[in-house]
Amino acid sequence: MPYDLFEVDKAIPERKKHIYIKKSDDPEAEIPSCNTKTIPGCMTERGCAFAGVKGVITGAVKDAAHVIHSPVGCTAYGYGTKRYPTTSSMPDGSEFPLENFNLKYIMGTDLKESDVVFGGMKKLRQSILEAAKEFPEANAIYAYATCTTGLIGDDMDGVVKELSEELGKDVVAFNAPGFSGPTQSKGHHVGNHTLFQHLVGSKEPPQTTPYDVNLIGEYNIDGDLWILKPYFEEMGINILSTFTGDCCHDEICWMHRAKLSLVRCQRSATYIADLIEKEYGVPYMKVDFFGPRYCAENLRAIGKYFGLEDKAEKVIQDRMAKIKPELEFYKEKLQGKKVWVFSGGPKNWHLPRPLEECLGMEVVAVSTMFEHEDGYEKIKQRAKENTVIVDDPNSLEMEEIIEKYQPDIMLSGVKEKYLAHKLQLPCVLIHSYENGPYIGFEGFINLAKDIYASIYNPVWNLVEFQDEVKEEPLELKELSAEEKSTLSAK
Amino acid sequence: MPESKKHQKKDHPHSPYGEESQELIAKTQKRFAVINPSRMCQPLGAVQALLGIRGAMPLIHGSQGCSTYMRFQLCRHYREPINVSSTSMSEATVVYGGEKNLIQALNTITHQYKPELIGVTSSCLTETIGDDMDSIINKFLQNNHNKIDFPIIPISTPSYAGSHIESYDQTLKALVEKITHQNILKQSLKGLKDENKKSSQINLKDKINVITGLLSPMDVEEVKFILKEMNIESIVLTDNSQSLNSPLDGKVDFLPSKGTTIKQIRDTAYSKATIALSNHANSAGVFLEKEFGVKLFNLPTPIGLRATDEFIETLVKLKNNQISKTLKIHRGQLLDAMVDAHAYNYNRKVAIYGEPDMVVGLTRFTSELGMIPAVVCTGTECNKFKQEIELISSQDGHEIQIISGGDQYDLHQKVKEEEIEILMGNSYSARIAKEENIPLIRIGFPVFDRIGAQRIKIVGYRAGLSLLDLITNTIIEKYYDNLKEEHL
Repeated sequence: MPYDLFEVDKAIPERKKHIYIKKSDDPEAEIPSCNTKTIPGCMTERGCAFAGVKGVITGAVKDAAHVIHSPVGCTAYGYGTKRYPTTSSMPDGSEFPLENFNLKYIMGTDLKESDVVFGGMKKLRQSILEAAKEFPEANAIYAYATCTTGLIGDDMDGVVKELSEELGKDVVAFNAPGFSGPTQSKGHHVGNHTLFQHLVGSKEPPQTTPYDVNLIGEYNIDGDLWILKPYFEEMGINILSTFTGDCCHDEICWMHRAKLSLVRCQRSATYIADLIEKEYGVPYMKVDFFGPRYCAENLRAIGKYFGLEDKAEKVIQDRMAKIKPELEFYKEKLQGKKVWVFSGGPKNWHLPRPLEECLGMEVVAVSTMFEHEDGYEKIKQRAKENTVIVDDPNSLEMEEIIEKYQPDIMLSGVKEKYLAHKLQLPCVLIHSYENGPYIGFEGFINLAKDIYASIYNPVWNLVEFQDEVKEEPLELKELSAEEKSTLSAK
Repeated sequence: MPESKKHQKKDHPHSPYGEESQELIAKTQKRFAVINPSRMCQPLGAVQALLGIRGAMPLIHGSQGCSTYMRFQLCRHYREPINVSSTSMSEATVVYGGEKNLIQALNTITHQYKPELIGVTSSCLTETIGDDMDSIINKFLQNNHNKIDFPIIPISTPSYAGSHIESYDQTLKALVEKITHQNILKQSLKGLKDENKKSSQINLKDKINVITGLLSPMDVEEVKFILKEMNIESIVLTDNSQSLNSPLDGKVDFLPSKGTTIKQIRDTAYSKATIALSNHANSAGVFLEKEFGVKLFNLPTPIGLRATDEFIETLVKLKNNQISKTLKIHRGQLLDAMVDAHAYNYNRKVAIYGEPDMVVGLTRFTSELGMIPAVVCTGTECNKFKQEIELISSQDGHEIQIISGGDQYDLHQKVKEEEIEILMGNSYSARIAKEENIPLIRIGFPVFDRIGAQRIKIVGYRAGLSLLDLITNTIIEKYYDNLKEEHL
């Protein structure tokens, strides 16, 4: 059987179909069950749809003010959670007056009990006006539904439509209350559709070139975009719009004018590329810039599309020469180290191959929070025989994965990091990064360096525990670690 | 003199609004909108209380985002693995009510995590749809034919009322109320299994209940240290000192393996007295006094000299004993440092921002240090807070700008107006400190941009000493180090 019911999941056998062990002779259709509701009480790492739209899609826009239509909680938690820095430069050459505006401010309607009873529309209207007054610089105001306002049925679209006209600036409502959909992925979806429907096609760029692209699904985590940008510039390609890392509101409005869309995060943003292609005939290409090989392959493909092969080649050769010595060093140090990748979605198929090919590591486990079928197909394709692929693991399963598959390092998020540390498993953050950026050629070296530093942390030489925790039966003590793991795998 | 802190936001060269819009904008006053909130929501306070109970699993009856956001917030603050479960409500379940999800979640947790207690908090979502958690929990218990050998405590925590402060208080009360209740005691709870049958009530009567309020693990540790120094047997509500500052010892806890036990919570009813070191989390103490005649002493959080004195004097009176030699030395050391540091701290204008008890305590302490607590801010609207600050203001003769129920925007305005020289608050206030070019002493919750949040200490003489060093050295670094040598 390709599916495995973990020891810890005996009470919830439904989990079995979410845990798949890669076998290459399996039919293609065999992948973990995914994008379904989490079993209540199962300690999931997943978030909500509101987090998906504000925390991923729109929070990176540099010049929009955000108004969360919620009681205080969602506004407080939606504040300052993700590391996507912005510059103040605007496409017309001007400067946006508030530096890192997207990280510094969040506003909310601060709903009270009476609003829940009588509706919160008045407060929403007033709060948007307050946002407009406080931040006249903001070029747009984004308003968000949450569980409460989704339930009481406030007509947010009506309010923002009215205010867009009255204020003469775009006010957009995102209707992704926390309870919609099984994961934050639903919020990505709503965010894409809302931005497409209300903005794309509504403005024209200051100028265009034959080499204009949309870089879609690049959120500039810890400066990722700023690694990629020079590649494009050197190739003579103009990023007309980024969706949405370090972008301004207007960039989204003129995405229809690009010659090509490049889809970087294919889980959260293929939707809008697809919509733009259908409506405006702008084709899109799915791209992958993690690891030197994929980065090179994809730059070549883009170069080919625009007839800029030579320039692409130059960027690649230049960067490869730069990173080669360091890459060799880390490969020697990380050879044979076992790794568990646990990301939201796409990094689970972006990272394993580069880690194996360029750093000599062995990916033993892969897990995702909100990946869908198409992503799991790619994960499976790129995974080696016997890799365990887990959809939405709970915290007990995580311990079992560590025991069974004995990774030397885990790549994941902050909620999982300290669990790993307690089990003496080093952990590198790959959602918001440790010392990023991690994308592109140079970024991959940063990642390798962080992995190396974590594994070779001198503290691991100091950690020694008496066997007071788990007294193993005598017969087990005689076995090697490998034999033990095969035993427990049964 | 420090460089000018008058730093006004750049005026927009020309208004981006048209004539009619300008009129609309001109009429608009800041009334409803919260800009960068300075309080968290109710379920978080409940979770914070539950994290100090051995074997407790917090379960949020709502959509996944609530528990995930809170775990994110707690994990990055404490840098510990933290489990907060969710009933994972979705569209379909919202329509039909959350009974099925809540029962399923209780089942899953019972079998997977084998808890000693489940604290079920509501959320905006389930409060709005009106789920009756009590009856759903009863149904679950009936379904299981009394096989559930641990308490399941429902706690009502809608985010659209109050904040994490009120819910922290209500959670302690709910725990004490439910666990000391006869019906619960009749059940054979596994949390009571370690009960020493011989322990007579006379022994129990020697104990003192201590409600700490929202304190860091190291502060709770310090409260326990003081009690031990004073030879006092105590029950701490709730004891996060080890669960949230746990050693690397080869295993991971999915539920706190250390903390206040169910038996201890039950025994609070027999204790000699309750000391609430918080004016905002004393409801459990009020309940115990009313219901079981356990005398309640309501003290300020022991931050700084006089408040710590007050705590220790109360202990002296209760036990009729002497102050411990060690504590006397610590007190003397703090006094000594207060004298030494005064030249640097005198008349420095400080703004303090955070949970009410902490802000009140630090207001008193900075005032003891000769500083001027010119601006204080807490996210909850609270008359008690205002009164406490006004009392300090009248005693020490400072004019204090009080923001109660304000947001960080309000705080920022006051920090500018009052030309504050040093700010004390959580990581969110780092933005204000940076913009105003003043130093920030990171304190309270959450502190995620520095390491060691679980070890921040403000309670007792020893913490007063280290905090005094930190404040003073920060002031020296900012306002003295750049002076020319001959000025030193």
